[in-house]
Amino acid sequence: MRRVAWLLLFCLSVARGEDVLHLYNWNNYVSDDTLARFEAQCGCRVRQDYYSDNEEMLAKLEAGAVGYDILVPTGNAVESLIRRNALRDLDKTQLPHLGNVKAEFRQPWFDPANRYSVPYATTVTLIGYNIEKMRALGLPTDTWALIFEPRHLEKIRGKVTVLNSQRELMAVAMKYLGHSVQERDVAKWEEAKRLILRAKPYWATFSNSTYIKDLAIGNIWVAHGYSNDMFRAREDARAARRPFTIGFTTPREGAVLAVDNFVLHKFGQRPDLAHRFIDFMLEGGNAADVSNLIGAGNANAAATPFIRPEIAAETGIFPPPHVLARLEMLRDFEPKMRRALSRMWTEIKVR
Amino acid sequence: MRKPEAMPAARAQPADRSKWVVTLPPTLFLLAFFLAPALIVVAASLRDPGEFGGLAPWPAHSFDAYRFLFGDIIYLEIFARSFFVAALTTLLCIVLAYPLAWLIARSPARRRDLLVLLVILPFASNFLVRIYAWIMLLGPANLLYTPFAVIAGMVYVHLPFMILPLYTNLEKHDPALLEAAQDLGASAWTCFWRITFPLSLPGIFSGAALVFIPVLGMFAVPELLGGTGDILIGNLIKEQFLENRDWPLGSALSIMLTVAVLALAGSAAWAARKGLHGTEAVT
Amino acid sequence: MNRPGFWLWAASLAVYAFLYVPLAVVVLFSFNDSVLNAQWVGFTTHWYAKLLHDEEMLRAAANSVLIALLSSVISTILGAMAGLAMHRYRFRWLPLLVLTPVAMPEILLGVSLLLFFRQVLDLTLGFMSILVAHITFSIGFVAVIVRARLAGMDESIFEAARDLGATPWATFHRITLPLILPALVAGFLMSFTLSIDDFVITFFVAGVGVTTLPLQIYSMIKVAVTPEVNAVSTLLMALTLTLIFLASRFAPDVLKAKA
Repeated sequence: MRRVAWLLLFCLSVARGEDVLHLYNWNNYVSDDTLARFEAQCGCRVRQDYYSDNEEMLAKLEAGAVGYDILVPTGNAVESLIRRNALRDLDKTQLPHLGNVKAEFRQPWFDPANRYSVPYATTVTLIGYNIEKMRALGLPTDTWALIFEPRHLEKIRGKVTVLNSQRELMAVAMKYLGHSVQERDVAKWEEAKRLILRAKPYWATFSNSTYIKDLAIGNIWVAHGYSNDMFRAREDARAARRPFTIGFTTPREGAVLAVDNFVLHKFGQRPDLAHRFIDFMLEGGNAADVSNLIGAGNANAAATPFIRPEIAAETGIFPPPHVLARLEMLRDFEPKMRRALSRMWTEIKVR
Repeated sequence: MRKPEAMPAARAQPADRSKWVVTLPPTLFLLAFFLAPALIVVAASLRDPGEFGGLAPWPAHSFDAYRFLFGDIIYLEIFARSFFVAALTTLLCIVLAYPLAWLIARSPARRRDLLVLLVILPFASNFLVRIYAWIMLLGPANLLYTPFAVIAGMVYVHLPFMILPLYTNLEKHDPALLEAAQDLGASAWTCFWRITFPLSLPGIFSGAALVFIPVLGMFAVPELLGGTGDILIGNLIKEQFLENRDWPLGSALSIMLTVAVLALAGSAAWAARKGLHGTEAVT
Repeated sequence: MNRPGFWLWAASLAVYAFLYVPLAVVVLFSFNDSVLNAQWVGFTTHWYAKLLHDEEMLRAAANSVLIALLSSVISTILGAMAGLAMHRYRFRWLPLLVLTPVAMPEILLGVSLLLFFRQVLDLTLGFMSILVAHITFSIGFVAVIVRARLAGMDESIFEAARDLGATPWATFHRITLPLILPALVAGFLMSFTLSIDDFVITFFVAGVGVTTLPLQIYSMIKVAVTPEVNAVSTLLMALTLTLIFLASRFAPDVLKAKA
């Protein structure tokens, strides 16, 4: 057994010796084909480790994990990484395709001069639903009232799930009440808490992942969740020939937009390979991948012609300008506010 | 926690080398890889959260985290609720584990290892996959996302930790003792309550420790099987590290939990020593 | 009462059923011809074929098994020592040291180990850091079982052996080991499952490029838990069964000294 262990350690050390680029990424965020093309082009190997939540990645890096060249954090996490001095400046001379980034995603608030980040993919937190059921019950699908108003919820009691995330759920409650998700007035957040507590008895559960399957099977009819997950649920339901269709719409009150970005970790060993990878992913055909693969929105203008038409036409994935204007990104609060919001969230869970 | 003074035979050993040969390796290992890291987080509970996560730069520190937790009844409520779920899970585990452990212990020696292996085998698959299997089973029965589902999941996940210690304890009991009692006219039930059960208490206690304690820290089961109200202390701790970026609060909660658990284990051991004087040691 | 009676068998079978029904679902659905894998669609071995070409998943599974075997052997040895020491030498601090890692929430254990490895020892994370972490949280479980086994054991037998001039090693080998063997087997199996199932602690201490199966599977939740995951779990169980069977066949004679 020990021999096997040594053999394994040996293999690992050999792997270190060659040209390897280390990605700390979401699972299934870059397709195998794209990776294979990049490996062939640069004569190197790409190894990925995965996280399923920004906070997992941040906690791990915060405690001192190193060895990753590229991370793929969402906007607020980029800000946090910048402020913690954990990122390396981009060398834009090594990124000739940087001009492909759509104008509306350049110079974001979290990185005003694009010093550290290149936007990659986007997701909207919205409502996914069983189209046939909603039609039969005569329920509106373009408003957060569907998950917050008892008069609607009465018809779908126990058939609704919402995200198990203080940030995401309280943010949409704020949107429904007409407040900003970056609101700093605690009293307004209390209002959101009361709204949630009023609706909670009608919900089946808080779910971050199982709702995809539940929607596709028909166990639940309405879910608050991410656009790419709703896309997945729709595809799954179609593949399994379910007698219904899953739809998803950005509510008219506005919603939460997440933009995921490539950034270089300060302690990465191979910034050279990392830049080559980022530039490779900026090419239209490669950038289009993430939209075709998982139904994510795309921050790359050159990608548009390569995206499957039915995905490109989906407004839940690619919000038209007037919808985009009503989307907000989450922004981190200072510790005191975080603790106050966490206290409200605990109350939501317990009561 | 402390050992009862019930066995005079184990009195002062000659200060031989074997004492340290046996004691030092695990002690040193745990001092290095458990106690030292644990002290870091105890210290962390006294720091302030950093502006963007992690900890505020040294030397900012305070008892804020503890003050925050003790100043609010809601956290006490979650503690109470978690201890109730843990106790219920432990009780159900004892009830389910006892017949099986007893059966294995009474089986012919060559079959015993196989039966033990059969207990543990399902747990060589993946945790998440088993929970998803439960989702599939509970969904059609309309039991998913209920407190029942949480308890069922908790019992399922922790059952081997009750069966195994109980079995290792029951296995050493002398059948002759029971035969003697039965020859003297005791009914099977009396035999069980008067002989087997008291003798198996150390097994029950250690099984209870290995079920009760991990249940308190478990967050995946309530998260995946529970409904909108099923939050336990484990979820709250996870949230501080993996959603809210409040390490001091997470550390403080964990330390309070650890201390509460150890105090409980200590007083259980003490009570057992008082109540069952002359019986056996408790973990 | 000496022989298992009817009711005992019935109750035990019911408990075995409780343990195995979800498992049957896992195995059955590994042959399901549906990505969604929510309802039975049709039989296929496609997922096993796919698995054989999934290098990442196989590497993660191999890491998991290797780490589980190594960590459970080491923690069984250390845990047995701790259990013996607690039973025999009554250090008041030892149970506290042994039980606290069991009592500590795993997230905290993971974060603290990561902080310690990186910021105190400045280790490179990888295979070894996972191994050490798994041993740390398994020791307590083994020690508690061994202790429960020894509880109430008549110590005079050890004294007699010593009085007859047996060396400590001979006493251990001839008397103690056979006595605690069932506890060792149980402790080993328990540490094995603890290790092969651990996600939270492993997540924190895993290094770049060294992943385990739970990490791989958890990261897929957001994507989709396809029947491939059921397939790899099924294979893992088959492998565990085989390994344990072989181990019991070719175990060193020391372990067969069962009285």
